[in-house]
Amino acid sequence: MSREEVFAEVTKIFRDVFDDDTLVIVDETNSGDIEDWDSLEHINLVVAMEKRFNMKFNLKEVGKLANVGEMVDLILSRM
Amino acid sequence: MNAYTYEEMEVGRKESFTVQVTEADMDAFRAVTGDGNPLHADDGFARDKGYEGKVAFGMLTASYLSTLAGVYLPGERSLIQSVETKFLKPVYPGDTLSVSGEITEKNDTYSLIFVKAEIRNQKGEKVLRGKLQIQVI
Repeated sequence: MSREEVFAEVTKIFRDVFDDDTLVIVDETNSGDIEDWDSLEHINLVVAMEKRFNMKFNLKEVGKLANVGEMVDLILSRM
Repeated sequence: MNAYTYEEMEVGRKESFTVQVTEADMDAFRAVTGDGNPLHADDGFARDKGYEGKVAFGMLTASYLSTLAGVYLPGERSLIQSVETKFLKPVYPGDTLSVSGEITEKNDTYSLIFVKAEIRNQKGEKVLRGKLQIQVI
């Protein structure tokens, strides 16, 4: 998958987790930009990404993700 | 109380228990929540709306999902993160409910279990179904 394709899938996951079909994310989007993005929803985002991309992360690497772009890059690094 | 560890929580594990909904439970729930809706307090009102009598609070029925996680699946290491539920049929004070849950999925990264739950009344009718996301702490 290209970065754009992964980003599109990640966007779908964000919209599903936050129940907002109009949500627009960019590489720099972080938890400060989405009101409901708390620690629990972070877990839900990671779990959804693991399922969608059929991969496993570890707590250390998902705990230090600063924004959406780093999430996408982490996924790409595992492909 | 069960005390399963995350490693003991395999997909397919089931737990269940029964509980009777009493008038005392209704009164306690009303006192805690302040929900004084007559559907749950007035037999005449409830019958007028087409029910057999006053209806148990749906959220009281759903509260047994807390027991399912906190006492049975996994028990003392439970931290409920989310509950989705649907109320399928009315529950009445005096009903005996069978509450059951089955692990359908796990997530190793966060030690999560996903539980499909259902509650049936003494007639075997499914009155509630739900899904729980529980962290095993």
